[in-house]
Amino acid sequence: MFINWALQEINLKIVYYGPGMSGKTSNLEYIHSKLDPSLTGELVSLKTKEDRTIFFDFMQIEVGKIKGKKPKFNLYTVPGQVYYASSRKVILNGVDGIVFVADSQPHRMEANIETLLDLESNLKADGHSLESFPWVIQYNKRDLPGVESVDVLQKKLNFFDVPSFEGVAVKGEGVFNTLKSVINLVVQNVQDQL
Amino acid sequence: MVQTRKLKDGSRQVILNGAQYDGITRVLSELANKTKASAILFADMSGQLISQRGNTENMNTTVLSALAASDFAATSEMAKLVGEEAKFKLLFHEGEKRNVYLSNVGDSFFLVVVFDVSVTLGLIRIDTKKAIEDLNTILEDDSQAAGEEDKLIDSDFSSLLGDALDDTFK
Repeated sequence: MFINWALQEINLKIVYYGPGMSGKTSNLEYIHSKLDPSLTGELVSLKTKEDRTIFFDFMQIEVGKIKGKKPKFNLYTVPGQVYYASSRKVILNGVDGIVFVADSQPHRMEANIETLLDLESNLKADGHSLESFPWVIQYNKRDLPGVESVDVLQKKLNFFDVPSFEGVAVKGEGVFNTLKSVINLVVQNVQDQL
Repeated sequence: MVQTRKLKDGSRQVILNGAQYDGITRVLSELANKTKASAILFADMSGQLISQRGNTENMNTTVLSALAASDFAATSEMAKLVGEEAKFKLLFHEGEKRNVYLSNVGDSFFLVVVFDVSVTLGLIRIDTKKAIEDLNTILEDDSQAAGEEDKLIDSDFSSLLGDALDDTFK
């Protein structure tokens, strides 16, 4: 969190984390397409020729003034592919809240778990831990046939009982609820600690 | 020093007071005048733009800051791979019309100087070095530490923000 008193700005950094092709970029694209252009900046995507995120996607959104303060939310995604582990780590620098976008398909369960463990170890390197850090889970791709039940996903991934949402990011289902929830958690977290 | 608080969960809160912001903006203005740089940005390593000077109207400086921060992050990983123990202190991108000079300011901040190829790199280096010293002095000065931050985020703020989010995400 970065607070600039002169400009009365409060800046939060939210990172969308998850395995490759789980829908992190789709979340940002939906938010970008739906918000009033005056409240959102450009969506920047650093993609490979194959349309996979190579470094990150970035977008800033605003919600107007609140009690004279201007909160700004900087949304980032990380690349999901295993070989971009290094870029995932650096994007977590200064993070305030995390959305873990899990792929609901049974054959991606292992990738979900692996990425969650990778997230935990990256957070630990920075002195954080999933146990106390503000984060939420989105079980994405609920519209696909044969997806894992939410019960199973909860048991295997949500071991700290954080808020979880079902999503179909490409259609926007669950996208705003997920983002709202993580922002609320971050703000609550700051409030509790002052 | 810039007020940095570590919250219980390990996350970092950086607070810049009014005097520091004014000081930073003054240093950036001086540097812009001296070097004839097209644009100068001061940002923190998480990618957050703090202040800017020069011709930035047609430049998306929010995104530029985020990209510059990741530039630093990527090259610090590169440093490790090639056996450099410290981080690289400066990065230079040379173009046909414009160059970009990035230099860290302490561990947590950095400066981006965008300038035409007609401006000598040596001049940029010397003036930027002086500006960085001034910036470090300003960032270390905590005599004007803000006292109101405790009241910044209260339950009232949370519920108003919740309403604003509902409104925005309709």
